Amino acid sequence: MKNLVSALLLCCACAAAQTPSAVAIRNAKIVTVSGPVISKGTVVLRNGLIEAVGENVSIPADALVIDGEGLTVYPGLIDGLSTWGMPGTAAPAVTATAGRGGRGATPTPAATTTPAPPPARGPEDRPSTTSWLKAADEVQPTDRRLESGRSAGYTTAVVFPTRGFFAGHGAVLNLAGEKPGDMVIAPSVGQYISVAGARGFGGGFPSSLMGAIAYIRQIYLDAEHYALVKQAYERDPRGMKRPEYDRALEGVLESKRILLPANRETEMDRMLRFAAELKQPVILYGMREGFDPRAADLLKKANAPALISLKWPEKGRDTDPDEVETYRTLETRDKAPMAPALLKKAGVRFAFYSDGLEQPRDLQRAVKKAIDAGLSREDAVRALTLSTAEIYGVDNRIGSIEKGKIANLVVTRGDLFDDRTRIEMVFIDGVKHKPALEITPAGRGGAPTSGDPGDNQ
Amino acid sequence: MIKTFVAALVMLAPLGAEVTVIKNATIMTESSKGTIKGSILVRDGKIAEVGESVMVPQGATVIDASGQYVIPGIIDCHSHIAVDGGVNEGSVSVSSMANIKDVINPDDIGIYRALAGGVTTANILHGSANSIGGQTIVLKMRWGKDAQGMIFEGAMPGIKFALGENPKRAGNPTPARGAAPNTQIARYPATRMGVEDTIREAFNEAKAYKASWDDYQAKVAKGEHLIPPRKDLKLEALKEVLEGKRFVHAHCYRSDEILMLIRVADDYGFKIKTFQHVLEGYKVAKEIAAHGAGGSTFSDWWAYKAEAYDAIPYNAAIMAKKGVVVSLNSDDAELMRRLNTEAAKAMKYGGISETEALAMVTLNPAKQLAIDNRVGSIEAGKDADLVIYDKNPLSNFAKVQKVMIDGQKYFDRDNEVSGRPAKQLEKQRLIDKEKQDQQRQTDAQKKAGQGARRPQ
Amino acid sequence: MKTVGLLIAFAIAASAAANDTFLIRNVDVYPVTGAEMKGVSVLVQDGKIVDIGAKITPPKGMKVVEGKGLRVYPGMIDSGTELGLSEVSAERVTVDTGELGEFMPQLRALVAVNPESEHFPVVRANGITSVMTYPASGGRGGRGGGGGQIIAGQAALIHMAGWTWEDMEINRSAAVQINFPAIAGRGGRGGNADFPDELVALFGGGPATYTEAKRQYDAQVAKLNEFFDAARQYQKERTANAPGFRRDLKMEAMMPVLEGKVPAAVSASRERSIHDAIQFAEKQHIKIVILQPREIGKAGAELKAKNIPVILGRTEALPENEDAPYDEAFTIPAEAYKAGVKFAFGTFSNEFVRNLPYNAARAVAFGLPYDEALKAVTINAAQIWGAGDKMGSIEKGKWADLMVTTGDPLEIPTQIKYLYIKGKEVDITNKQTRLYEKYLNRP
Repeated sequence: MKNLVSALLLCCACAAAQTPSAVAIRNAKIVTVSGPVISKGTVVLRNGLIEAVGENVSIPADALVIDGEGLTVYPGLIDGLSTWGMPGTAAPAVTATAGRGGRGATPTPAATTTPAPPPARGPEDRPSTTSWLKAADEVQPTDRRLESGRSAGYTTAVVFPTRGFFAGHGAVLNLAGEKPGDMVIAPSVGQYISVAGARGFGGGFPSSLMGAIAYIRQIYLDAEHYALVKQAYERDPRGMKRPEYDRALEGVLESKRILLPANRETEMDRMLRFAAELKQPVILYGMREGFDPRAADLLKKANAPALISLKWPEKGRDTDPDEVETYRTLETRDKAPMAPALLKKAGVRFAFYSDGLEQPRDLQRAVKKAIDAGLSREDAVRALTLSTAEIYGVDNRIGSIEKGKIANLVVTRGDLFDDRTRIEMVFIDGVKHKPALEITPAGRGGAPTSGDPGDNQ
Repeated sequence: MIKTFVAALVMLAPLGAEVTVIKNATIMTESSKGTIKGSILVRDGKIAEVGESVMVPQGATVIDASGQYVIPGIIDCHSHIAVDGGVNEGSVSVSSMANIKDVINPDDIGIYRALAGGVTTANILHGSANSIGGQTIVLKMRWGKDAQGMIFEGAMPGIKFALGENPKRAGNPTPARGAAPNTQIARYPATRMGVEDTIREAFNEAKAYKASWDDYQAKVAKGEHLIPPRKDLKLEALKEVLEGKRFVHAHCYRSDEILMLIRVADDYGFKIKTFQHVLEGYKVAKEIAAHGAGGSTFSDWWAYKAEAYDAIPYNAAIMAKKGVVVSLNSDDAELMRRLNTEAAKAMKYGGISETEALAMVTLNPAKQLAIDNRVGSIEAGKDADLVIYDKNPLSNFAKVQKVMIDGQKYFDRDNEVSGRPAKQLEKQRLIDKEKQDQQRQTDAQKKAGQGARRPQ
Repeated sequence: MKTVGLLIAFAIAASAAANDTFLIRNVDVYPVTGAEMKGVSVLVQDGKIVDIGAKITPPKGMKVVEGKGLRVYPGMIDSGTELGLSEVSAERVTVDTGELGEFMPQLRALVAVNPESEHFPVVRANGITSVMTYPASGGRGGRGGGGGQIIAGQAALIHMAGWTWEDMEINRSAAVQINFPAIAGRGGRGGNADFPDELVALFGGGPATYTEAKRQYDAQVAKLNEFFDAARQYQKERTANAPGFRRDLKMEAMMPVLEGKVPAAVSASRERSIHDAIQFAEKQHIKIVILQPREIGKAGAELKAKNIPVILGRTEALPENEDAPYDEAFTIPAEAYKAGVKFAFGTFSNEFVRNLPYNAARAVAFGLPYDEALKAVTINAAQIWGAGDKMGSIEKGKWADLMVTTGDPLEIPTQIKYLYIKGKEVDITNKQTRLYEKYLNRP
């Protein structure tokens, strides 16, 4: 009888050969991030968690063994602010960069079928506000960027809705899962706020930056008042006019921190000051002028972390040779990749985010640029793993290779950010994924491109 | 350190030199002392002494201004420089919730250029797209400081109103001939009648809002525990106007709208602090003076729109003669640099004296902004905001040599000019470096493309 | 004999009483083309300057103007305006510049000049006696509208007073205005807050890439050259005058240009554009005047070598980009002078024409010799537009286009006391002085 049962179990095990009960990668170099590098060691994964990691770890009998000779294991990379998985945010297939200098094209939202709402007449119309929206509810596991992200060594992304002044709640999501629910590590980690929606006349209120700021301020005043009224009503509703349910305010009250955009140093100053006024913990995203020493001072004083865009400012293509750009533009392009190294030296917490980059090659190159500009490889890895987790308060679960943490790993042949390095595999929740071959002609590990030298600049 | 190219080499006064003496200049004090030949002692950011001869303390920095002229820092009562993300919240007719203070841009090269034109303080206003626009702020041109550092501490905040064509036009782009107005995007008001109505409606609302807050505060004072009324930023600013805590600066052209606004203000019990542009102010100077408003106008702009067709360059002179405190402003980053010669136009058109003309860009705007206790004239106790010209500042042939704000030098023409080659070199270095980097990358790519295909 | 003498005496007496004949005495004369003369007299007869000297005795009955304490200069000339063609720039119905059509050399600004325009008396009051008025906004796509025009029409040199435009005409076709194609930039500058950004946002935003912009530019230049080639072909046919030959008005208007009698007035700001314009002129063998050049420092040598005069725009302008020196616009005239380029000033905006002398004065603070500044608003302008023998300085035989001032006309507080055009005294009151009087006296 016991034999029959074991046989059945074995068959089941064979049938489920895709997902072994345990995996051990042995004799690999292991970059734990939370501790010193293990030059030759073993990681054991079980039930989607890291069971053991170390120099001398015994390999369980039921484990699928992966020979780690010549391989390096890192914690799975985390995209610090992402749209991967959000419907309608993927960039069009062919990216022809416009001839304008500075930042490249941002993903354009797909055309919606719903008619545009009438222009807002003031803050009471809650323009471009979907503060209740949760990325965790919207994510589409079939988004091809999840696959390209994995091929670039990412296992996780902090995905946000990004449209509107109050776009909604971001979630820490793994880049694989059968159902969206499987992917969620933390469902609500911050409210994404932007001011780019203030779009000239005809678009309703607000049409200017100061209008947008006034709107955001008004929402917080309203939320504070709303909470007071709700509280009082809950204590004793008798005789009191009931507060009108306002999901925009509910969404704002629910957020534990906010994300505000800042690229120029003066914007950092403005936004940090604003967040302090709103009494909200804040993370700044963008940080193009992060290399400015004043940026570090501002962030330290506010005790705020920063998300640095990996889309370094580039010179536009096909520009007028007669036109000379301003010194400020030239200096920013020159110094932007130095920001991570300088912020690290100043002791500022920061992490990287993809900012629309999707292709593994582009992501790798972008990080390499920061390394070439002075950021150590260790710090570069940390800015894509543990730092990111810390910023969002999920470092007790992911971001490093430690016992008990989620089994998110990336395994490479070669140092993670080198041009020639190949991503061998990633593990998400202990499940192995191999990178897709030939994602694009310039995909990592694929054949070298025979296109124009200017590609992917 | 990222600071724009041009100002990178502005030399601030050396540390520790909080004492400066400007010697042997013709000083146009705009005070009871009049114009004298003498010296100014500056200490700790203030004018310590002005006189024919002044004791030079040990260790003081001495600026020899022989043959040169010193005037109080010029004050531009109407400017839109140093603003990020648009000067108009033009989507709605009443945008008093918007605040220029939130979007100060200390990196605007316009600040430096204003300095080079002798301006030390500017009233930064919201645009003129709305009957009631956004909140405004007074800045000192402290080039190099951050946004907060530019704010004129203690200056009463303001709010911008706009009458006439601009608020009408901003909401209602002219439809094609024969077509009906586009009601989809048409924004009330489309006529001057509607402008009055818009302002009255807003103050009606503000009055009720104020009443609810006054009521709340009275009850709380008596010990009651209540939920406060909802704070509405739009009405809050207007409440401050009603309480005299916020100055109204009203952009206007025609005499009928100027009078209209005076009567509206009378009805609601507040004062217009300044009429801006006020190109037909000369027609209703009597009423403006009786109301107590200042008039801040152009020297000689006219005929660029219909409501400017009756503008006359004698506007300043007539208003001044009828008892209005008059200033000349720029509303323009280019004109801002030439307010000294704009003042001379008051002499040409209407026979204003040199002292009174200069007052129109110094002491008068200071009075209009209620900062004349701090700036606007060269008197002991006031801020050391001073401008040195190489010739009489009312002459077209004069140039600004040095500008001081709060006793610190913020502009020095000699340093600026001598620093140019170095700046140019630095810029060229960056251009060349980028070219080299791009070339290197192109070469590397070519090489990679020529390499053999690596196995999978 | 006696009859003749009597007749002559009668003629003199008659002309002595004529309104374009008079003597100014005890005045300081600034001829511009020569040294100043203090405390002398100027004799004007039949609208012309007849004598300047220490002691001139006026014939009996001649009007005598007391010039003690005053100065007399040639009336000033603004080489870039739309006077008479545009009344209120924001109101299109009052604006007659910027017609439709790409190649319109046959359009004549002169016939659309409204002699009653309020701008004339307003501008005259500050000593300007003649101007060039152009059929299209001078280069910068201003509020006058129109655009897409390559050849805009004929600019006219006019006096600032007259019953009709015929009266005012000095040269009905002083230049043919060409808006030379430019490689499109990436969007215009923001407007000032008097015009909400939203309206200004309608302009700007050119082609996305330089390649595309260059392609468009090349295509337009090719078109322009084709037009000139067609004109040259027409010239041949016109000379041959074979039976069946029909006059074409556009082509007719091009003949004086091809013959070198009328220059093309071409707006070109940057060195590259200036160079391209010069190349074009050489290729087509025509005379040109460059309007509103900015990069004189770089282009000066070529301009000087080819003897091409320029009309400088307002010195009261901001630098072109953030890094440019703050005094960039103030120093352009000095650069032109140092390069040996002949130049005059134009204000290119009706409402600022009266400030013409102050634009010149500002350049003096930044390196331009005073005398050059004065020349650039008087004799240089006259010479550039082919009227140098008739006006622009106080010399015998020239028209008595004069301004009598209380001081240096380049300084603001100076007043104009009298103004003469062809010897006739011109009213320098205007709508503004009348409103001044009216409201000063409001009880």
